[in-house]
Amino acid sequence: MSAVVSRVRQPLIEGHKTYHQITEDICASTEKMPNKQYIWGLILSATIAAFGVGCIALVVWQGIGAWNLNRTIGWGWDITDFVWWIGIGHAGTLISAILLLFRQKWRTGVNRAAEAMTIFAVICAGLYPVFHMGRVWLAPFIFPYPNTRGPLWPNFNSPLLWDVFAISTYFSVSLLFWYTGLVPDFATIRDRARGWRKKMYTFLAFGWTGSAKHWQRWESLSLVLAGISTPLVLSVHTIVSFDFATSVIPGWHTTIFPPYFVAGAIFSGFAMVLTLMITTRKLLKLEEYITINHIESMNKVITLTGSIVGVAYLTELFIAWYSGSVYEGFAFYNRATGPMWWAYFGMMFCNVVSPQVFWIKSLRRNVAFTFFMSIIINIGMWFERFVIISSTLQRDYIPSSWSDYHPTWVEMGMFIGTIGIFMTLYLIFTRIAPVVAIAEVKAILKSSGDQYIGDNAVEHAH
Amino acid sequence: MKSNNNNVWSSAEQLNNDPAFIQSLNQEFFELPIVEALGNEEGMIDTTTNRRDFLKFLGFGIGAATVAAGCQIPVKKAIPYVVRPDELVPGIADYYASAFIDGGDFVPVLVKTREGRPIKIESNTLCKMMGGGTSARSQAVVISLYDKHRFRKAGKPGAKFTDMEWAALDTEVKGKIASAGALRIVTNTVISPSLRRAIGEFSAKYPTAKHIQYDPVSSSAILDANAASFGKRVLPTYHFDQADVIVSFAADFLGTWISPVQFAADYAKNRKISKEVKEAKMSRHYQFEAMMSLTGSNADHRTPIKPSESGAAVLALYTAVTGEGGYKLDGKAQKAIEAAGNDLKAAAGKSLVVSGSNDVNEQIVVNAINAKLGSVGSTVDFGAVSNQRQGSDAEMQAAVKEGDAFIFINCNPVYDLPNGKSFGESLKTKKLTVCIGVSPNETAAACQYIAPDHHLLESWGDAEPRTGLYALQQPTISPLFDTRQAGHSLLTWADSANLNKTAEQPYYDYVQKTAESKMAGSKFNKFQAFWETTLHDGIFEQEVAASGASFSGSVADAAAKIAKPQTGLEVVFYETVAMGAGQFASNPWLQEMPDPVTRCVWGNHIAIPMEWNEVSKAFQGLNNLKDGDFATITVGKESLTLPVVRQFGLAKNTVALALGYGRTIAGHATYCVGGNAFPMLTATNGTTSFINKASFETAKGRDREFGIVQLHHTMGIQANGKKDFNVDETTLGIGGFGPQGSLTNRSVIFQGGLAEVGKLAEEMKEKRAEYQHLNSKGLYPDHADKYKAGVHWGMSIDLNACTGCAACTVACMAENNVPIVGKFEVARVHEMAWIRIDRYYHGDVENPTAVYQPMMCQHCDAAPCENVCPVNATNHSHDGLNQMTYNRCIGTRYCANNCPYKVRRFNWMDYTAADLWAWNENKLDKKAGAIADDYFSWWSGEENYMEDNLTRMVLNPDVTVRSRGVIEKCSFCVQRIQEGKLNAKRENRNLRDSDIKTACQTACPTGAIVFGNNNNPESAVSVHRDHELTYIALEEINVRSNVTYRARVANKNTKLEA
Repeated sequence: MSAVVSRVRQPLIEGHKTYHQITEDICASTEKMPNKQYIWGLILSATIAAFGVGCIALVVWQGIGAWNLNRTIGWGWDITDFVWWIGIGHAGTLISAILLLFRQKWRTGVNRAAEAMTIFAVICAGLYPVFHMGRVWLAPFIFPYPNTRGPLWPNFNSPLLWDVFAISTYFSVSLLFWYTGLVPDFATIRDRARGWRKKMYTFLAFGWTGSAKHWQRWESLSLVLAGISTPLVLSVHTIVSFDFATSVIPGWHTTIFPPYFVAGAIFSGFAMVLTLMITTRKLLKLEEYITINHIESMNKVITLTGSIVGVAYLTELFIAWYSGSVYEGFAFYNRATGPMWWAYFGMMFCNVVSPQVFWIKSLRRNVAFTFFMSIIINIGMWFERFVIISSTLQRDYIPSSWSDYHPTWVEMGMFIGTIGIFMTLYLIFTRIAPVVAIAEVKAILKSSGDQYIGDNAVEHAH
Repeated sequence: MKSNNNNVWSSAEQLNNDPAFIQSLNQEFFELPIVEALGNEEGMIDTTTNRRDFLKFLGFGIGAATVAAGCQIPVKKAIPYVVRPDELVPGIADYYASAFIDGGDFVPVLVKTREGRPIKIESNTLCKMMGGGTSARSQAVVISLYDKHRFRKAGKPGAKFTDMEWAALDTEVKGKIASAGALRIVTNTVISPSLRRAIGEFSAKYPTAKHIQYDPVSSSAILDANAASFGKRVLPTYHFDQADVIVSFAADFLGTWISPVQFAADYAKNRKISKEVKEAKMSRHYQFEAMMSLTGSNADHRTPIKPSESGAAVLALYTAVTGEGGYKLDGKAQKAIEAAGNDLKAAAGKSLVVSGSNDVNEQIVVNAINAKLGSVGSTVDFGAVSNQRQGSDAEMQAAVKEGDAFIFINCNPVYDLPNGKSFGESLKTKKLTVCIGVSPNETAAACQYIAPDHHLLESWGDAEPRTGLYALQQPTISPLFDTRQAGHSLLTWADSANLNKTAEQPYYDYVQKTAESKMAGSKFNKFQAFWETTLHDGIFEQEVAASGASFSGSVADAAAKIAKPQTGLEVVFYETVAMGAGQFASNPWLQEMPDPVTRCVWGNHIAIPMEWNEVSKAFQGLNNLKDGDFATITVGKESLTLPVVRQFGLAKNTVALALGYGRTIAGHATYCVGGNAFPMLTATNGTTSFINKASFETAKGRDREFGIVQLHHTMGIQANGKKDFNVDETTLGIGGFGPQGSLTNRSVIFQGGLAEVGKLAEEMKEKRAEYQHLNSKGLYPDHADKYKAGVHWGMSIDLNACTGCAACTVACMAENNVPIVGKFEVARVHEMAWIRIDRYYHGDVENPTAVYQPMMCQHCDAAPCENVCPVNATNHSHDGLNQMTYNRCIGTRYCANNCPYKVRRFNWMDYTAADLWAWNENKLDKKAGAIADDYFSWWSGEENYMEDNLTRMVLNPDVTVRSRGVIEKCSFCVQRIQEGKLNAKRENRNLRDSDIKTACQTACPTGAIVFGNNNNPESAVSVHRDHELTYIALEEINVRSNVTYRARVANKNTKLEA
């Protein structure tokens, strides 16, 4: 290959793979009968998903009173879960778009699954703003469409409306990006398939022939979409943070929120990618494509974003004191020592303290430990949103109205249910689409395959 | 064939020069041919879709639409007037002057009716003696009219209620009266001259009959003491407006004592701070009491004393005032007594001492003090005698022993006598027991016959609550059920010649005849003119000159009989502002009205004191109990297990328990909340005592349905001698020794002492200037000028006049169809009140001062709720109203989150049965009903508070009934604003300031709430606002609220403070 790769770089593909082996290895999961583990996993996930759908139905049926939100705390688990899922949905686009623009080769091993994760996370996230509405059947009111009521338009000043646009744009662009990347790989499977699978993949491959023109257009489209997606990565969570930052509530009304939320989103997104990838590589035996080097790279990103988040937390505390505003000061005093102190403590520990262990190289290259840490971070980021939303609302300006909040099983069930929906979609995804981008991995084989670089490289005739 | 010299190929096809491949290679950059077929007629003919297909699709489409549209929408019946009554215009409200009479409680009112339905109580401002306000109880009577549990027919209780015709009942009852023996007609205080006359006629006909009056929460001792001291067994009229110094021993005169509406109005007259703040004068109010009463929480100096110390305290004051007797209290209380005594002496004649104690001897000493100070004849007025309490505990107890037959009229002794239970048992063996009442109760269930009475809004009646005040009560709706007024029943059984049975409304004629004797002294010559004017005005008032009475009792004798203070735990029983003696148990508005002091709803709770715990270094509730934990209180053989509520200001070793709860027969089980404390009362010296020795134990568990609307009660409380110790944070929150300033520096409440009121005004000015300076530094253009033209609505609330009586909250519920949510929902902090009265304690932990702050939507001009609503469901009107468009609301609740005042309320469930889907309503708890749901034939069926068609008649047709999933909040009574505007427009004139008054404003007995046009400098609200103590809550966040408050000022005795 033409590219010159430093010998210091670790190989990204191991096992002396040939192009054919790559195709065989990665297509395997879509072609072989699933094993028992998979079947049971799917049944479990689908059951949890069905339970979640049941919870949603109950909320629509009974009203938001099925939850324990109250007069003072109008948002609780619902919006916490929403922001959490949206945050998780950030890593995919970051990996596929920003890392593409920066020509980070290690992205090829994980981008497909990360993008899929993005799509599914945004689907899960989208459920909350819809079903947290008191009158969900009037949800279309939120769209600006010509109507006979005046016409009456939505309120363009409202951050919730911005959310609608931000999330729907993000979802459509991410979906397009993901699908675009899948087209050549679908074609690969199509060429190997027979019977109804052939028909299905023929449809999905969108007439891909692998001609030079197709590749040229495909590359251009990827680049264009990467260009569009890059600002979206930053804008979506910025706008989600506006849901809070544009309010007057002490603890919400802060200018630090946009960067703080974006960093937090990437942080949690990478953690979730790790959770999924470590499981996937193990189950689908893709250790040679999703290598320890990939994991290490992602751990580095986690350490960085975790530290940014930590700085943001400390900045908030400092400003709360420095501003001299009694309300602001109290809001943070209450977060840390009020009735929901445990959530604040969990947030601080999981998000700020725990990722610092990744300064130690052996830990960042330890798969089991990384998996454990990714769960810790996911929990920590859930706590962060819960702290921001519920423990802030709990005690704001007027002491007479302070209240407390304990979720019902319905709102907890809805959260667990969305995890089920997410897992179900992901499991189905692993049977239908290649979980590693075949075409892209092949593209870097000769620059990053372990037979070409690294300690095990063998001499090759170029 | 092209040779493949190049060594790069992509497939075998390319290598072999496959023709198909070559073709595709050539077409790699092909362009789509223009589809010409579209313009080609032949092509069109070849299309496969034809006219038949079109018809098929059309047919299917219409069929599907028809099936879908066939889903039935519930049919609601509305019947138009075929012939419209003359005096009634649909859509226009009629107002009738009437009176709220409940035992001795009296409030002159206007009843608002719409299409013949009474839907709202308004104050009768013509009545000067009662001050022109209302009470929560009087506001709530409209919903008790539509109480579905009411008696609908005469009948006999038994295993199941058997209906009877009136004629049959009359025959049976009359037959039994003749041989009944000692017949006792038992009532609460009767202030109706007509009913008194009817009872008189009945007693004349049946000489064995005797009228017994008793009051469940009795003032019997005052009457007995007055008989002893002044020779007349009457209540004087107390003039709180003429008193510069008021000392009250546990008399809750602003909440429940004798005539709270009148007293609150009088009291507030002397409490408002004049415009010249530095020269402001106000009365000084000392309160000595064990429990924290509404009145005590409003006092300038409140001193907690043990319940059994009240006698000693009265005596100590006697000594402090007269220097005689040498009675003393211990410690701090004595200091307060001396200070109060000195103040009283200084204000002799303009001073007033009252006591809520039901101990005759204590009252005699109180009389002695008042007499000594020269108050008798000025603030204690025996010229205009009050009739509002006439009950005698001793007579009632005698009747219990000697009565062979009973007729109960609108009273419930089986429930509310200390020995009610055994009395109820004994009724089984009596010769005749008849209950005349409106709705089922414990006494009715124990009687042989039930003669259902009209509700007071269906009744003709009259009242003479005090000398010089005669009021008429007129029906505002035809009787809903087959009922008959109490007086009518009695006269029928007495075969009275004065009852014109052939008249259309016999009792109306009877009341009119009674009124003839009341005309004396009026300006009218003809009775008809007097009658019509009084009926129109609702009242006829005559000035009565104040007069005194000479004191002729012996303090020494009384002192000898007064019980000595006791050690050990004591309990004090009290009447709540809402529930009275339990007669309002089936009134959901009053059940859901938060108690002004404890802030609890739906039930009574054991109030426990806060104590310093040396181990945990924190203030804790007694036995380290938390709000809602169960505890058992035992008095003698009676014990009750109820949730506790921690109460600041309770005397040490004292717990308090409200009366009037724990009804067993009041309606569905939901209404039978709490525990009945009446059996714990004991009689001492012939009067019922409302204090007792008790034992208190922690019980297991916690009440899951503990309903309290305020979970944080303090605004900066410091512990005695522990300067840096923040009770707010350590006791009520979790966490450490928090910054005291975080609560006290909030610009929510401003308060200070009268002596430093100038300083307070300066401080407020400084702070407000700073806020306004900061607010002027905004980046965005100021739209303030937009609201300078035309009308701009605003409200001003005087915290010094507000006593926290909660009349406004109930008035708002009635006016605005505010949903009733029930106990469990309140426990989940889902209460819906549009106006709430926040109560904050501040100051010393053992004896804090309270501030009441009515809080409703502030109608901010830069409203944070408005800009966050994604669908524009809440927006600003040109006249400054923050409007809520229910139709548009999708229920994101962002507005509620973003409201700094937390006044927005979300319909979590379908509370008012307004939803299209009828299955998700908030059902009542059916289990454990005290009487079976089918005991009365009409009790089955709907179970929601508002689902019942009868109850729904109370809804105000001018206000949308909200379905679930939408936000609602105070609208400044926009329906009243519109009505006022339309009236002005129709009359072709400008809007007058007095045209529009909100429901809370008219309900307020003290005039604390003023509403009007901000832009008119002469409007009441502008004038009220032009005051140095005016402030805006949370002004610094620049939401530009249209509601202003006036700071709370207490008239502290500086010597006592030092």
